[in-house]
Amino acid sequence: MARIGVFVCHCGENIGRTVDCSVVAKESAKLRDVVYSVDYKYMCSDPGQIMVKDAIKKHNLTGVVIASCSPLMHEKTFRRAVQETELSPFLCEMANIREQCSWVHEDKVLATKKAVDLVRLMVEKVKRNTPLEPIRIPVTKRALVIGGGIAGIQAALDIADGNQEVVMVEKSPSIGGHMAQLSETFPTLDCSQCILTPKMVSANSHKNIKLYTYTEVESVTGYIGNFDVTLRKKARYVDDSICSGCGICQEKCPQKKISSEFNTGLGKRPAIYIPFPQAVPNIPVIDKERCTYFKNGKCKACEKFCDRNAIKFDQTDEFINIKVGAIVVATGYEMYNIGKNNKNGIKGYGEYGCGEDPDIIDSLQFERLLSASGPTFGEVKRPSDGKVPETVVFLQCVGSRDKAKGMEYCSKICCMYTAKHTMLYKHKVHHGQAFVFYLDIRAGGKNYDEFVRRAIEEDGAIYLRGRVSKIYREGDKLIVKGADTLSGSQVEIAADLVVLATAITAQPDIVPLAQKLGVGYDKYHFLSEAHPKLKPVETNSAGIFLAGACQAPKDIPESVAQASAAAAKVLGLCSATELEREPYVAKVYESTCAGCGFCIEACPYKAIDNKAIVNRQGKLIKNVAYINQGLCQGCGTCLSVCRSKSIDLAGFTDEQIFSEINSLFV
Amino acid sequence: METLQNIAQGLLERGDVSMVIGYTPGTIPGKTKTIFARTPEAAQKLTFNENCVNNLSIYLTRQYGNIGEKPVALVVKACDARTVNVLIQENQLKREQVYLIAVPCNGVKDEHGVEQGKCKSCAQRVPKDYDALAGETPAPVEIDPTLRFKALEQFDAMSPDERWEFWMKEFEKCVKCYACRQACPLCYCERCITDKTTPRWIEPDTSTAANLSWHITRAFHLAGRCIGCGECERACHQNIPLGLLNRKMAKEVFDNFGYRAGESAEAKPVFADFRYDDKEEFIR
Repeated sequence: MARIGVFVCHCGENIGRTVDCSVVAKESAKLRDVVYSVDYKYMCSDPGQIMVKDAIKKHNLTGVVIASCSPLMHEKTFRRAVQETELSPFLCEMANIREQCSWVHEDKVLATKKAVDLVRLMVEKVKRNTPLEPIRIPVTKRALVIGGGIAGIQAALDIADGNQEVVMVEKSPSIGGHMAQLSETFPTLDCSQCILTPKMVSANSHKNIKLYTYTEVESVTGYIGNFDVTLRKKARYVDDSICSGCGICQEKCPQKKISSEFNTGLGKRPAIYIPFPQAVPNIPVIDKERCTYFKNGKCKACEKFCDRNAIKFDQTDEFINIKVGAIVVATGYEMYNIGKNNKNGIKGYGEYGCGEDPDIIDSLQFERLLSASGPTFGEVKRPSDGKVPETVVFLQCVGSRDKAKGMEYCSKICCMYTAKHTMLYKHKVHHGQAFVFYLDIRAGGKNYDEFVRRAIEEDGAIYLRGRVSKIYREGDKLIVKGADTLSGSQVEIAADLVVLATAITAQPDIVPLAQKLGVGYDKYHFLSEAHPKLKPVETNSAGIFLAGACQAPKDIPESVAQASAAAAKVLGLCSATELEREPYVAKVYESTCAGCGFCIEACPYKAIDNKAIVNRQGKLIKNVAYINQGLCQGCGTCLSVCRSKSIDLAGFTDEQIFSEINSLFV
Repeated sequence: METLQNIAQGLLERGDVSMVIGYTPGTIPGKTKTIFARTPEAAQKLTFNENCVNNLSIYLTRQYGNIGEKPVALVVKACDARTVNVLIQENQLKREQVYLIAVPCNGVKDEHGVEQGKCKSCAQRVPKDYDALAGETPAPVEIDPTLRFKALEQFDAMSPDERWEFWMKEFEKCVKCYACRQACPLCYCERCITDKTTPRWIEPDTSTAANLSWHITRAFHLAGRCIGCGECERACHQNIPLGLLNRKMAKEVFDNFGYRAGESAEAKPVFADFRYDDKEEFIR
């Protein structure tokens, strides 16, 4: 015989204002199997919790219903209190009479009646609750960090410093990411490479970090604490265990005019190349598409001159299997390209020439022009004729905040780096004049607004509020036609160089990776966090965390902060030998399962697999679904596709839900 | 050209298959019955004609226990082969466990000579995939593909109230004999949802409301799976037009997802397949 106790909370005025809690307690007492009911001002307070514990002992309760707020708020509080008695915490349920009743209704009589109904539902449910056992799963104390930009490096270093092993993968030949391409950083104007390269070196030499560059994630299976990851180490055609990084191969390579990715097309590189002088590791890679030997079968100049015999033309992709307990995704971003050929149906900018004029460049290209290690060795020279530009027009929000281009979001970092660009330009070209077309100046952040003011007041950048309608060439000049909405006039500027602050977009190849990881993404393909406020680092796949601009546009301090937060989450996870998690997982009734496999396909967490049922002779009787409790998130999708109802959700069984619904028809 | 009997005889003589499931003349004129030929001699009794209405793929389901170590040969029309594809898609069968003997079909008729509804819109004379063809490849025919859902037009034209009235009248007749379920090759569940008692999803009585919930549930369970063989409707001695329900679901699936059940054994079942370009109009 069930003996249920009902505890009705006023939540101060929150519930008490619209629900007559004493009536709810009295009405609850009349429900079948309810042996005790009481109302109290704050059930979550210490005295409130003591009331619950005392009542459990005094009345020999077999189940408890707390009628108060959402279980998201205080379920843990009350379950912990219940656990301190002899009762299983899973025999405590919450009836949400605040968010789902008092807050959304005005009529006190009706709200009180509904509150009684909500209590009745939970009484029916708790009677059918079973004392579940939390699920315990072992943890592999090793983390995978995907992406070797500043976020990935920071996360890897923090985890490694916490004395846990890290495997770090980077798809390009060197770590460093976009930060390695930047000249100086806002708001302090310190040299980007100077602050980044020590971290790159540490990441490579740290005893707890195993670094794989030119490597991609091939597949991911498993679950929190127990991921099995296969990495594809792409063929470099250079044996990284022999190569000393002397660079003779680069010098001897006859292909010298390949557009350099690191220099955003403004510089050239050979077919065998180290992307930039401070690259980590300092090992070259052969660009198979452009290598003379791979194209024509003749050349091998690099091989001839390599005194260590490190060139290996017969190298193939290598697959590496690793086991990790947690994954940090730090895959970064890509700049939006105003050209005609854009991904995801995003349109280019015909009015700005679709990227065909060499003197209309994007901000990352301008960073390279400013950088001492760049193609012009830090001198601002325009790409077309090498002339020092005397008038530079900067355009903000190119792509961003533009519904017509399909990117309605703010790219967040452009206001700041554009201000920085005008300053650095002024510092290098003293007689030059910078103009900035902007929509709003968004400079929230420590010392950020002061920085923008400095650009305007001290370095004389002229800010014009409005969009640019057209840019076209007239002889030597680029004519920029725009609006200054503050003075209400049309503006026409003859510029030598135009710099577009193009939008920050998601990595073009992020979707397949997100699908391998089971991590959600938004319509712009930025990865989704588990909760925008309270779980900004976690994803909906347990054990997988986000860092940096793969989640949304972020500047360096934010990326670093999030990377450290992700590292803290990983270290927290690795601090236990076993993980405990809520046992709300699906279970299969094998006797009735026909093994149709719909649940396997439907499961968003890849938690379901086939299991063969064999007789004693080892002969197959049938296949049934098998649920991996470590992976199952208890979403219930499998239940809904199961025609024979051979799957049930522990803690939310069909029987419990039915009895709840049926209790409404009394 | 090989005849059906020759193919079957060869298979059984060589021991390639444990049995050949096919049609043999029945005792009532215009009707055929199923034969499970296990010997080369028995293979001679096999026949195929326009009265071979039944969808024999049901005998491949686990409940009949015909699938063993050796493959089973099955005589299939184009529509029956689609059912086999669905069974393979849904892990009830492996392709190598069945040997498909395709028979060219120009439409089948019941014992009164009435052509089956499904045949009127069918242009497929032989299955897409088979292991042996009994007879010659027939000349292709062209049939207006919109005919497939022609029968629904008059129902779609009804007002919701009229439709409700129509179906309640039909469901009133149901005695819950479950012949529809027993005849259906895709109702292979080990325990039907209607037999589940804790909790009871479908009321067990034969009130019209309880009948409605049975038939609607069954239609939902066949959505995106039913290939329209019509066995449920043929089995119903109360003459409830069950095929219409299934056809309606098939149309919805086709209109929304461009998917037709049983076209390929490799395709993912439509209700276990999620794509980003799926229309989601029903959510709005």
